[in-house]
Order: sequence, then C-alpha cells, then structure tokens
Amino acid sequence: MKEFWLGKLGWHALPHEWFTILGSISFVMLGLTVIAGLTYTKRWKWLWNEWLTSVDPKRIGIMYFIVGGFMLLRGGLDAIMIWLQQSLSSGASHGYLTAEHFQQVFTAHGNIMVFFVAMGLIFGLINYIVPLQIGARDLASPFMNTLGFWLYVAGVVMVNMFFLFGGEYAATGWLAVAPLSGKAFSPGVGVDYWIWSLQISGVGTTLGAINFIMTILKMRAKGMTLLKMPLFTWGSLCSMIMAVSVFPLLTMTLFLVFFDRYFGTHFFTTDAGGNAMMYTNLIWMWGHPEVYILMLPSFGVFSEIVSTFSRKPIAYYKSNVLAMIGVSSIALLVWLHHFFTMGASAEVNSAFGVATMIIAIPTTVLVFSWIATMYKGRIRFTTPMLWFLGFIAIFALGGISGVLLAIPPVDFQLHNSLFLVAHFHSTVIGGVLFGIFAGLNYWFPKIAGFRLNERIGRYAVWAWIVGFFVAFTPLYILGLMGATRRLDHYDSSKGWQPFYIMALVGGLIIAAGVALQIVQIIASIIQRKRLRDPTGDPWDGRTLEWATASPPPSYNFAVIPEVKTRDAYFEMKHLHAPKHAFEDIHMPKNTASGIYISIFAFLAGFGFVWEINWLAVVSIIGIIVCLIARTFNEDSEYTIPAEVVRKMEKARTDKADTHRKDSRDDEDDMGLIEFAKTVITWALGIALGIVRGKK
Amino acid sequence: MTKKTHSQPRSEHGATGSYVIGFVLSLIFTIIPYHLVVNKVLSGNTLLATILGIAVLQMFIQIFFFLHLGRGPKPFYNVVFFFATAGIIVLVIGASLFIMNNLHYNMAPDEVVRKQAQDEGISQVEGKTTGACQGNKDNHIVVIKGGVARPAHTQASRCDTLTFLNQDEGKREMVFGPHPNYHSYGGEEMVVLDDGRPETITLNETGGFMFHDHLYPSLSGHLTVAP
Amino acid sequence: MTHHTNAEAISVHEEAANDRVMFGFWVYLMTDLLMFAILFAVYAVLHGNTMGGPTGRDLFNPKLALSETLILLTSSFTAGMGMIAARRGIKRQVLVWFGITFLLGLAFLGIELFEFAEFIHEGHTMTVNAFLSSFFVLVGTHGLHITSGLLWLAVTLIFVIKRGLNSHLVRKLALLSLFWHFLDIVWIFIFTVVYLGAFV
Repeated sequence: MKEFWLGKLGWHALPHEWFTILGSISFVMLGLTVIAGLTYTKRWKWLWNEWLTSVDPKRIGIMYFIVGGFMLLRGGLDAIMIWLQQSLSSGASHGYLTAEHFQQVFTAHGNIMVFFVAMGLIFGLINYIVPLQIGARDLASPFMNTLGFWLYVAGVVMVNMFFLFGGEYAATGWLAVAPLSGKAFSPGVGVDYWIWSLQISGVGTTLGAINFIMTILKMRAKGMTLLKMPLFTWGSLCSMIMAVSVFPLLTMTLFLVFFDRYFGTHFFTTDAGGNAMMYTNLIWMWGHPEVYILMLPSFGVFSEIVSTFSRKPIAYYKSNVLAMIGVSSIALLVWLHHFFTMGASAEVNSAFGVATMIIAIPTTVLVFSWIATMYKGRIRFTTPMLWFLGFIAIFALGGISGVLLAIPPVDFQLHNSLFLVAHFHSTVIGGVLFGIFAGLNYWFPKIAGFRLNERIGRYAVWAWIVGFFVAFTPLYILGLMGATRRLDHYDSSKGWQPFYIMALVGGLIIAAGVALQIVQIIASIIQRKRLRDPTGDPWDGRTLEWATASPPPSYNFAVIPEVKTRDAYFEMKHLHAPKHAFEDIHMPKNTASGIYISIFAFLAGFGFVWEINWLAVVSIIGIIVCLIARTFNEDSEYTIPAEVVRKMEKARTDKADTHRKDSRDDEDDMGLIEFAKTVITWALGIALGIVRGKK
Repeated sequence: MTKKTHSQPRSEHGATGSYVIGFVLSLIFTIIPYHLVVNKVLSGNTLLATILGIAVLQMFIQIFFFLHLGRGPKPFYNVVFFFATAGIIVLVIGASLFIMNNLHYNMAPDEVVRKQAQDEGISQVEGKTTGACQGNKDNHIVVIKGGVARPAHTQASRCDTLTFLNQDEGKREMVFGPHPNYHSYGGEEMVVLDDGRPETITLNETGGFMFHDHLYPSLSGHLTVAP
Repeated sequence: MTHHTNAEAISVHEEAANDRVMFGFWVYLMTDLLMFAILFAVYAVLHGNTMGGPTGRDLFNPKLALSETLILLTSSFTAGMGMIAARRGIKRQVLVWFGITFLLGLAFLGIELFEFAEFIHEGHTMTVNAFLSSFFVLVGTHGLHITSGLLWLAVTLIFVIKRGLNSHLVRKLALLSLFWHFLDIVWIFIFTVVYLGAFV
C-alpha cells in the first residue's frame, strides 16, 4: 500500500548526511527569507502579476539572469569543493570528501554550469536583446517563452531536489556514460535525478530555440534583411538552429537511458545485446554541438562590443556571418573526437580529427575580424572591452590546446587528463562565460536604466583573468605529467600536490572576482541616480536596441523603425529618421500556464525518479489538460490604444531631454574602500535603529 | 449575416487533385516494395537499396502533394529546414551505422577476432598466436538435397573445413544451435546458401554442435569437432 | 441554415501570426523527425542483437503491416480532404472527413496494439533483448504520436462543434494535418526498414 502511494520514498530518503542537511537547511532558509520578505512588503500579487506570469521577454530575460546567476554560485561552490579536496587528498590524507561524494560533486558541477548557468544566462540575453535588435515587440510565441523558462526552473529545482529527498546525485560524470549509468551499476536515484533535470530543461531549451528562430526569421523590422541584422542576432540564430538540430537527439537518448532503468530495456546494458558504445556515440552527437551552441552567442556579443568601443562598424561583416555558419555546420561533424580512445580504427579517428582541426579556421576568421575592427579605431577600454581582451587571451589558449587534442595520437595520451579539463575550461570560461559577463556589462544600462560601476568592474575582470591563469595553468602541466581528471586522491610520490594547491589559490582569486562582481552590482545600485542613463544610448551604440528608453517600455518600440542599413541605429541617429504616426499596439496577455505545466512536468519527473507511478500518470494528464486549455484559449491578447502610446512616449522623451553630464565618466564611480564604508555605515545604522527601537 | 471568407494565400484552395494524385502515387509506391519483398523478386543489398529508395521517393511525393512544401509564400524557410533536417538525419543514422560497425570490428570478442585473423591470414600478433587456422586440412562436405542434410553427422578435427552445398531450389540460412535459438560458431553468425554456390567455413571451435536451416528448421544436422 | 463558415475576415496581423505559427510548428516537426532518427539509428545498430532468439523475420506479419500502412495512408488522404473543406469553411464536411480520419487512426492503433499484445503474450517483451527493445520503442513511439494526434483531433472537433469553424480552429486543423501527414511519412520508413527490412 505504502509502495503504491510513495514508490521508493521512505524515511531513509530524507537528509541524514552532513552535506544534505547543510544544503537542505540553506535552501529552506533562503526560501523562508524570500517568503518573509515578500509577505512583509506585501508584494505577492505584484510578483505574480508583474514577473512570474509575465510573457514579456524582458522580464523573462531578467528572471533567467537571476536563476542563472544563483546557479553560478551553486556550481562555483562545487568547484571550490573540488579544488579543496584535490589539494588536501595526497598520500596519507584522503581529503574531506568520500570518493562517492566527490564523484557526485564534479558531476553536479558540470551539469549545473552547462545546463543551468550557461544556457540560462544566454537565454536571458537573447530574450532581452534580440527582439530589441531586430525591431520586434516580443517573441513569436510568448506562451512558449514563459513555458520554456518555467521548464528550465523545474530542471533547476530537480537538480537540487536530491538534498531534500534521496541524498545522492549521479556519480557518473556530467554525461553519465553507459553502462555506469545503468540500473546495474547505479541503482540509486542519483542518475534518475540527472535524467529528469536534463530532460525537463532540455525540452524547455528546444521550445525556446524554436521560438527564437521563428522570431528572428519572421519578425524583423521592415527593411532589415538577414544581412543587415546585428551580429549578436546572427550568433543567436546560428546557435538556436544548432539547438533545434541536436537537442532532440539528447531528448531521445535520455529517454532510452530512462527506459533501460525504468522498464528494463536493453539499449545500453552490458547484457542481452545492449551496446554501451552506442550511448557514447549518441550523447556526444548532442554534446559537441552543445558547446558551440553556448559559444556562438558569445561570439556575437564580442562582435557588438568590439564594434561599439572601437567606434567602427564591424570589419568583414559577411565573412563574420559565413564564419558563424561555418562553425555551426562543422560542429555537427566532429563528435567522435570525444571518444578517440573507444576503439575506432585509425582512418575513422583521423577523419574526425581533421574535421575538428578545420573548425579552427572559421573561428580564426572571427578573431581576425575583431582585430581588424579595432585597427585604426578610437578604442575605449570600458569593462566590456576588458572582458573581450581577457577572452582573447584565454580562449586562444583553449583553442590551441583543442587543436592539439584533435590529433588522435596526442589524444591517446591526454584523453580524460587534466590537460583536457584545462582546455575546455579555457574555452568555456574564456569564451562562453566572459562573453556573457561582457554582454551583461554592456547591456546592463539598457536593462536597468543605469550603468554599472566601471572601477569595481575593472577589478573584477582582472581578478577573473589572473585567477583563471593561476587556477588552470597548473592543470595544463599536471595533464602533461599524467594526471587523470576526476581524481579524488593521488600518491604523494607523484609530486602533484603543489600544482593542485596553486589551482586552489587561483580558484579563490576567481571567487574574489565573483564577489567583486556582486559588489559591483550593489555599488551601482547605491549610486544608481548618478549612473543613470537618460538617453537610452550610453555607449553611442550602433544597433537598434539603443534606440529605445533604458529600460524599454513593455512594447519596446512605439513605432517599429524602418531599417535601411546595417548598424541601423547609427544611421538613424545621424540621419534623423522621420517620425511616424502612432498606431494601436497588440500585446500578449500574461499567463500562468507555463508555471502550471512546469509544476506538472516536475511532479512527473519526481514520480519517475521515485517510481511513484500514479503521480507520474496524473501529472502527465495534468500537462495535457493544461496544454489543451491554453492552446484552445482564443483570448490571449490585449491592445494598447494609439493615444495611450503617444502619452507614454511623450512622458519618456520629456524625461530624457534633461541634459546630464556624460555618464561615461567613471572618476566618480565608487571604489572598494568607499563601498566598504557605505555598507558599514548602513549596517551600523540598521543596528542602531533596532537598538533605539527596542528602548 | 454574411461574413467574407478570406482564403489563405496558400495553394490548398482547389487542391483536391493534389491529394488524389499524391494518394494514388503513394499507394503504388507502397505496393511495389511490398511485392518485391514478399515475392522475393530481388534479394540482398539490391532489394534493400531499392525499397529504401522507393521509401524516400514516397516521402517526397507526400511532402509535395500532401504537405505542399515549396508551394507556400516565399521565403522558403521550411524547405531549407526540411533539407537541413534530412541531411542531419542521414548523418545521424549513417554515421552511427558506420562508426558502430567500425567499433564492432575493432572491439569484437575473441571468437570473432579469431575469424577476422583467419580471414586476413594473420597467425601471430606480437609473438602471440591468434588461434587462427591455416594451411591445408581435411575438407568435409555436407550436401543439402530434398530437405535433408547428408551426412546427418559429421566428424572432424579442429582447423578442418566444412563445405555446405545446397542442391535444392530456394535459399538456405544455415545456423548453429537448436531452433528457434541459434548461436554463432567460429565467428560465423549464419551461412547463407542462395545461389547454388558452396560456402566453406573453418572449424576452429571444438565440441559438438547442432546446425539447422533457420528458414526451414526441419532441415538439421550434427557436427563434432575434435581438438 | 447555412453550411458556410463563421470565419471572420482575417486581418494582416492575424495572417502574419498564422504564417509564423505554421513555420514554428514545421520547425517543431523537424525536431520530432530528429528524435525518430535516433530511434532508427538505434534500431539499425541493435536489430541484429537477438541473442539467438527470434528475429523480425520470425515474428512480423507483412500482411498486417501492409494493412496498417494502407489504413494510415488513407487517413492521411482524408485529412487532406478535411483541410480543403476547412479552408472553404464547410463545417459539415470538416467533421465528416476528419471523423473518418479519426476512425482510420483508431483502426491503425488497434491493429498495432493487437500485434504488440500477441508478441507480449508469446513472451517477446521489450526486456528480452536489444532487438525487441529497439523495435517496441521505435514503433511504440510512433504509436504514441498517433495517439496524441487522435486526442488532439477529438478535442479540436469537439470545439468545432461547440464554437463553429472560426479561423483559430481552422489554423488548429492545419497544424494537425501537418502533424498527421508527417506521421504517415515516418510510418513509411518504419514499414520499409522494420517490417519489409526484416524479410530482405
């Protein structure tokens, strides 16, 4: 009876280890703080109406940033745990983590960083910026947008759920290779949590990608042909086309792993005809394009930033577009380089090795075009530009080490070594993450209405760059010395410990960088009036998003501009485009369907994890019912009459006309000492207030 | 109350003909491969390639006549997406087959490796023998006629060869083991006799083995291989 | 009593939205095709792994498969006829043609379930070996898609009866037809690769 209602759940599933207890308490405290804050400020309705049920891609974008940022901290904590363990665990000492726990930590680290940090932050950027860049008011399907976001959140909750129930995550590495991920070798619920957190958020990603493609191809402003689009939009388009091409492969492969575990099929088992090598083949067919999916929007961000801060249009625009398309296409052809050592013949390995090396060519075209853009430009070294320079140094290192690894005989030595780990962190941190940070710094004024503190921003960039090299150079060396990845302990006679300790020091410097980024945001909020962006165009930008207010109104553009050239806004600014008459604006209504469907999706996944069949079935029915209710709802839009639009626009332009000193001057940006003083004063003030209040 | 009906600018208006043509053509291209397979008009790789080709043809027929691809308004994004998807599908399936085949060959279990070594005439690798048989040994012949294998029992030594000769009409698929199960012998899954030519296998495993025709299991025999 | 439509004059705004939705759904269908590609790849690689047990040739009934194929093909045709009626705004014809499509789809499912039941009854379940696993999941996934399509069709037809044939529901039927045609195309390949392929 109990088994029917609760499946495999029982008292044993509740937290009883130090880290699950700690983690559960942390999450519960966090949740309670948020609930308390919302109740005290009576903001529940506001939260629901203005944010949670919003279909505005600007709101959804900000929500992606918040969740993605939070997961960055969570994944970063995993990283520090790994650094700590590996520095301590040499010779007689075995560190502070058991081997099984350590395996779960690095698995969670990989999954969280790739799926929930990188994908989340990138989807946030694309959501916010691309409609503005192409002159659209919204995405093609507002419903799919909110649904995609909440499915992503369901995945986030699922990947953290093991703290509360089950106490274990997958201990298989971030891609859970078969047969280790099969029931025979991973009988617990860890791999099931892995399956469903990826599956649910993966569906969200696929829906989001379809949505972005529809938007970019079908909703551009009049006159904006494909070859007049900004390069961030191009990078996003290429990335999303790759996403719709390969996420279905992941979805189905995850289902096959699920069937093996839940129904006892034999796709990847070691007996009855299963073929575990097929799993590796299929998962990397998705896995390799995935890293390029993450990379291309960052390439687009850098194109924008280099162009704006060199005060020149991007050099060789068409080559850039071709290079992005080239990278996307070739990326689909190289996946075997992840398993050179699995046993294919030399001919097969060489073919894929050559294809992998060829990707370096279009990538280099992009790098050269950025350099050519900077050449003879009037460069401003703002924080986004500094992130770009860090990217060049670190990503180039990652790219070169990648070309090395592409050579099968070299890879036979370095496969799964720390050299590999250093390579992909160079490309992902230097490329993907720096691109995201650069983009967030660049577009922050547009999103928040005030720009970020430049001074502290610079400190943060340097902390990240220095920290990165201190953390990962030892890993390159260790890899060449023979150190394998994912080691929870090693012989002291190897002489590796000093390198691991240096890596830990680098990691702490990076952590300082993250702290500085948080300080940067808080300091900017404190100084927001002074840092205000009244014109909507703080950087003298070139593309359409700078033609709106900061932040833009819900409808983005009162009148959709007609585009005549590339770098549309730059031309408009200097040619003073004529004004058109205002029209009625159709806007989509908010909806809670995305939330409800995602809750059901989460419950279905939870049901499958714990084999609570009735829950899974009921939840699937719930999804279907909600989908039917939503898609047969014919009343999903509202209209803003032209007169109201005219009033809103007048109010905005009136405010912008006040002249201010150039908000680009950063001498008055507060430094760290002033920040510390401000915070201490504020904290003391609160404490004194409480003390006085008590009397 | 009359409301104006505004037809979509697509070509489905008056497209009954399109569906009828598509339907009839699809019917034809369903019956043809069915007939080819069930009546064994072709065989082997020719047959496989033919029915796959006809399937692709029927797909295009339905894509054009039912889904009207290419007849909508420009730009033809969905045509581009369709061909891109088709390319990726070919890649996923084709490359998987190619890679898995390659891995199967390179990562095969011992008995299959022995057969590979035999086929390629490799008797030693880095000083260790492969167990491959070489040289002239006795040849034993099993003749299949009238639905019976003669001799019913063959006695042989390891590394002798066994030749199957099919003098009946029709195809035989000789496998080892009792029907309906079968197992491979010496790396051979199945010995196919379908064009009158004899097939020879090397007896590199010792022991007693039953063999039968997988298509007509009443045809069976026995083989003993001494070391 | 007019047979003709309630369809309103479609504004430019709605037409652009329709175009977007049709295209977006098409992209979704491409992702669905890719999921089937994985299943076909898996079937191609694993179908020989019967562990000495019965192969497709021993288990499949080509006549049954042919009947399924012809039924589904006919239902694809009737769906097309239904779509023409929908564009013309003729509600009664829509209900008739799509109703036939629904019944044919149901017949297809019935035959498929009968086939599965027979296999399971004889002990050839999907947990026995890799061949049966890949067979059941490939054909079963297609069957699940057919089931979803039938559910979607039933709900849509109910709304057509209740609300009349408005432009929103015509668009729904257009998407559904796309889905249905595409499922028939996938079935062509299942028929060829799985059922006919077993006898090659």
